[in-house]
Amino acid sequence: MNSRLARIGVMSAVLAIVLLPIYWLVSTSLKSNREITQEGTLYPHVPTLDNYIRLFTEKQFGAYLTNSLVVTFFSVAIALVAGAMGAYAIARFRLPFAMERKVGLFLLTLRIVPPVVILIPVYLLMLKLGLLDTWLGLIATYTAFNITFCVWMMESFFREIPVDLEEAAMVDGDSRFGAFRRITLPLAAPGLAATAIFAVLVTFNEFLFALALTATPRAMTMPRGTATLIGRIDTDWASMSAAGVIGALPIVFFALLVQRHLVRGLTMGAVK
Amino acid sequence: MAKGGTQSRKYRLQGAGLDLALPYLMLAPGLLIVLGVLVYPLWDGLRASTEAYRYGSVVANVGMQNYIKLWSDPQFLNALWVTVKFVALSVTFEAILGFALALFCLREFRGIRLLRTILIIPMVITPVVVAIVFRLIYASDAGMLTAISEWMGGGQVQILGSPVKAFFGLVVLDVWEWTPLMFLILLAGLQSLPHEPFEAARVDGAGNWRVFADLTFPMMRPVLAIAIVLRTIDAFGTFDQVFVLTRGGPGEATRLVSIYGYDTAFKFQQTGYAAALFVTIGLVVLALAFSAVRLLRRVDAS
Amino acid sequence: MTQSSRSRLTRRSVLKGGLGLALATTALTAIGLPVPARAAGKKVIIGAFADGGLTPFKQKIIPLAKDAGFDIEFLEDEYGVTLEKWFADAKNSAGQYDLYLLDDPWVPQFGAANVLEDLGAAGIDGSDKDWIGSMIDMGYWPPQKGARVKGFETATPTLICVPFVGDLQTLTYRNDVYTSGAPKTWDEVIAKGKEGVAAGKIKYPVVFRGVSGNPIVTSWYPVFLSFGGSFFDDKWNPIFNSAEGKASADFFVGTMKQNAPSGVVEFDSDQEGAAILGGDAGAIIQYSGNALKADDPTQTKVAGKLDFGVVPKQTSAIAQMGIFIAGIPKSAPNKANSVEFLKWYVSADIQAKLSEAGSIPVKRSAFGIAKPGNRLIPVALQQLDAGALPRPRTPDWAKVEELLGIELNKALQAGSGGGAALDNAAKQVKDYLSSVGYY
Repeated sequence: MNSRLARIGVMSAVLAIVLLPIYWLVSTSLKSNREITQEGTLYPHVPTLDNYIRLFTEKQFGAYLTNSLVVTFFSVAIALVAGAMGAYAIARFRLPFAMERKVGLFLLTLRIVPPVVILIPVYLLMLKLGLLDTWLGLIATYTAFNITFCVWMMESFFREIPVDLEEAAMVDGDSRFGAFRRITLPLAAPGLAATAIFAVLVTFNEFLFALALTATPRAMTMPRGTATLIGRIDTDWASMSAAGVIGALPIVFFALLVQRHLVRGLTMGAVK
Repeated sequence: MAKGGTQSRKYRLQGAGLDLALPYLMLAPGLLIVLGVLVYPLWDGLRASTEAYRYGSVVANVGMQNYIKLWSDPQFLNALWVTVKFVALSVTFEAILGFALALFCLREFRGIRLLRTILIIPMVITPVVVAIVFRLIYASDAGMLTAISEWMGGGQVQILGSPVKAFFGLVVLDVWEWTPLMFLILLAGLQSLPHEPFEAARVDGAGNWRVFADLTFPMMRPVLAIAIVLRTIDAFGTFDQVFVLTRGGPGEATRLVSIYGYDTAFKFQQTGYAAALFVTIGLVVLALAFSAVRLLRRVDAS
Repeated sequence: MTQSSRSRLTRRSVLKGGLGLALATTALTAIGLPVPARAAGKKVIIGAFADGGLTPFKQKIIPLAKDAGFDIEFLEDEYGVTLEKWFADAKNSAGQYDLYLLDDPWVPQFGAANVLEDLGAAGIDGSDKDWIGSMIDMGYWPPQKGARVKGFETATPTLICVPFVGDLQTLTYRNDVYTSGAPKTWDEVIAKGKEGVAAGKIKYPVVFRGVSGNPIVTSWYPVFLSFGGSFFDDKWNPIFNSAEGKASADFFVGTMKQNAPSGVVEFDSDQEGAAILGGDAGAIIQYSGNALKADDPTQTKVAGKLDFGVVPKQTSAIAQMGIFIAGIPKSAPNKANSVEFLKWYVSADIQAKLSEAGSIPVKRSAFGIAKPGNRLIPVALQQLDAGALPRPRTPDWAKVEELLGIELNKALQAGSGGGAALDNAAKQVKDYLSSVGYY
C-alpha cells in the first residue's frame, strides 16, 4: 500500500514538473500582451488566437516551416544513403592499413567536437560558395553533421546482421552490392529508422548554424525564425510563446508517433 | 566465434572485379561531403586562429598570439569557469535523478508507459523553445513563478536578475531538458542486466540497499559512465538555450564559452581571436573524451 | 522470420510518422503562406530589428510607399543579432538587403569597414537645413565634429547613412504624482515620487533598465549626462570615471535602485514598460517605443495619467539620442530603388506623414505640423533643443558598452560601489582599446 502511494506521488511529481512549464507556454500563447505582463493570470481569462494568426500574417512562419521541412528532409535523406553505405563498408570490409577503422574513428572524432568550434569557418565557406541564406547551404552543412553520426550508429546495426545471409545471396548470383541492397539493408531497417528519426530530431531543432547561415525568410528554419521574436528591447511575450508552440508542435508530434524507435535510437549507443 | 575466424571470412567475401573497388565506392560519398563541409573548414579555422582582424578584414598574421592572449583574458577565463561549473552541476544532477527514476521504473506498473511518453517531450522540444519556456517561467513580470507567488499572496519572483539564481536557473533548465535522456539510457541499461545474480542475492536474503550497492551499481557502472561522457560532451557545446534565456547575463554569470566565442566573432568582429578560442575548446573536449574512453577501458580490463 | 516482420512494422510506422509530420507541416503552411498578390513594383529589401519605434513606419508609411510604386520587403530580426548579420552581409557583399535600419552607434563600424554607399554622391543633400542637425551629423563617417579614431584623422567625412526615425530619451511621468508638471531635478523626482508612494498612487518613484550591456548603459547615460559627465577625451582616453561620472553612478546604483522595483537589476524595456504602463512606477526616462503606448487603454492601465517632459537635471538636462539610421550596402541588389526610396522617404512631405502617424521625424519642418500623431513629438523637439547627445562615434562601441555594462550591473546588484565600477570599467576599456590600436 505504501509503495503504491509512493509510486503515485513520484508519478504525479514527474508529470507536474514536465507538464507545468508546457502548460504555461500554451496558456501564455492564448493571452494578450496586456494580460501577460500586467495581470499575471493563471489561465487565459480572455483567450485569443490572435497571437497565432499574427505569426502567419505579419510574420513569415509559413516560410519558416517550409524551409525546415525541405532542409530536414534532404539533409537526412542524403546522410542516410551516404551514411548507410559508409557504415556498411566499415562494418564488413577489411582494407589495407586498417583504413576503414581509421575512417570510422575519424568520423567519431568529428562527432565529438562541439559544432560551435567550426561555426566561423563553415560560415566563411558558405560565403565563398555564395550559399549563405540558401537551402543548399543548410542542407550541405546538416548532411555533413548527420553523416558523422549516421555512420557511427549504423555500423553497429550492420555488425549485428549475420554475414551468412549475404553469402547465401551471393551464392544465388547476387553481386556484393546487390546482397547489401536486397538482404542487409532490409534487415537493418529498424536501425535505419532509429537513425533517421534521431537525425530528423537533431536537424529540425538545430539553431546555431541556422543563426549564422541564414538571414531572411528565404532560408530561415523554424528555430531561427522563432528566435526573431526573442527580443529583449521590446519583448512580445504573446507572439514569442505562440511561436514556441508552433515551433515545437511538429517535432513533438513526430517524436510521439515514432516513440518506440526514438527510444531505441537514443539509448542504443550507450547500452551496447 | 574466435576473432580470427571472423576476419578470414570477411576476406573470403571480397570477390573480384568491381567488387574490389566496392568498399571505396561506398565510403566515398559520405567521406567527400564530410571532408568538404567539415574538415576543410576545420583547417580554415586553424589558419584563421593565427590572424588578427580589424573592421572585418585580416590585418596581420600574429602566429600563436591569439592562443596566448586567451589565458590572460579575464572574460575568457570566467567563461571557461562558468562552463565547467555548468557542465559539472547539470550532468551530476541529471545522472542522479535519471538513475533514481530508472530504478523506480524498473518494475513494470500501470502508468509507466504514460510516464515514458511524457518524459520524451522535454528532450525532443527544440532547445530554442525550451529556453522560451523557461523565460516564461522566470520572467519577473510575465513569469509562472511570479504568477504562482502572487496567487499565493507573495510578491514578484526574481530569477534572471541575480547572477547566482540565473546560473542555477540555467542548470535547472538543462536538468529539465536532459534528465529524461539519462533516464532512458539508464533504464535500457538496467533492463539489459542478467536476472540470475539478482535472484541469487534475493534467495540469500540481501536487502534492497545491499543489492543496489553490490550488484546493480557495479554492473551499471559502464553504462552510467558512457551516459555521463556523452552528456558532458554535449553540455560543453550548449549555446541555444543560453542565447535565448540570458544571452550570458546578468553580468557574465551565465556566459558559457560558446556564447563568448560567438559574440567575440560576430559582435566584436575579433574573428581570429574567436577562432583560436574555439580551436582551444575543441581540443579540450577531445582530450576529455579520449581520456574518458581510456579510463573506461582500464576499468573494463580490471 | 521475426526479423522481417519487425522491419515491415518499422517501415510502416516510420512512414506513418513521416506522413504525420508532412501533413502537420503542410496544414500549418497552407494557412500561413501569404497570398502572393503583391503588386509588382520597385523592390526594396529592408532589414530592421524588432522595435516598437518602427510601428508607425510599418503601419502607415509602408502602404504609402506601395502606392508610390515601391515593393517593400520588410524583414525583422531580433536586436541582438542584427548588427552581426548586417555587417557580415555588407562586408562580404552577400547582397541580402537593400537597406538597413541601423541603431546609430553602429554607423562607425560600417563606416570604418567602408561597406556603405556614399549617399551624398547618390544625391541626398546632407546640408539641407531642414535636417535636425544633431541627427544628420550621425550619418557621417568619419564624424564632422569631435574625436576621430586612428586611421581616419584626415579622411573626408562622407554621408553613409541618413536619419530614418528620430528618437531620443524623454521623461514620462505620472501627472497625479508630479502635480506641478514635469519634475525639473532628480531630487524632485525622488522626493515627490516618495510622496506618491506614501499616498498609495504608485509603488515606486522610478524604474529603469538594469540588465547588463546596452540596457543598463542606456538607462544610466542620461543620468551621467545630466550630472555633467563626458565619456572620452579627444584622444579616446576614457574619462567617464571623473568625479561627475562617479557621482552619477553612485546615484544610479544607490538612490535610484532604492526607489525602483526590487527586481530592477533584471529589468529590460518590457519590464520597465510594464511598470510604468501598469501604473506601478512614477517616472521613467525612456525612448519612444513604450512612451507611444501611454494613451492606448489596451496597453496601459493609467491612460490619461501619463505626461511627457524634458529629462531632469543635476547640472544640465541632457538626454541620450539614439535614432534609427538608414544605410545602403554597396552590395545591395536593388541599389537604385533603394536610393530612390530613401529620397522619397526623407522628403518633407513624407516626414510630415510620419509625424502624423506618431513617429518622431528627422526633419524640423515635420515637427511643426498642425496635428502630430502624438503628444510626445513636441516634447521631443523641446528635448532636442534642451540638449541631446549621441553615443561616442567609435567602431568599438559595442565592446565598450559591454565592458561598462557588466561593471555597472555588478554595482547595481550590490546596490553600491558605482564609482569603483566606473574605475574598473575605465581600465578595461582602456586596455581593450589599446589592444586594438587606439593610441
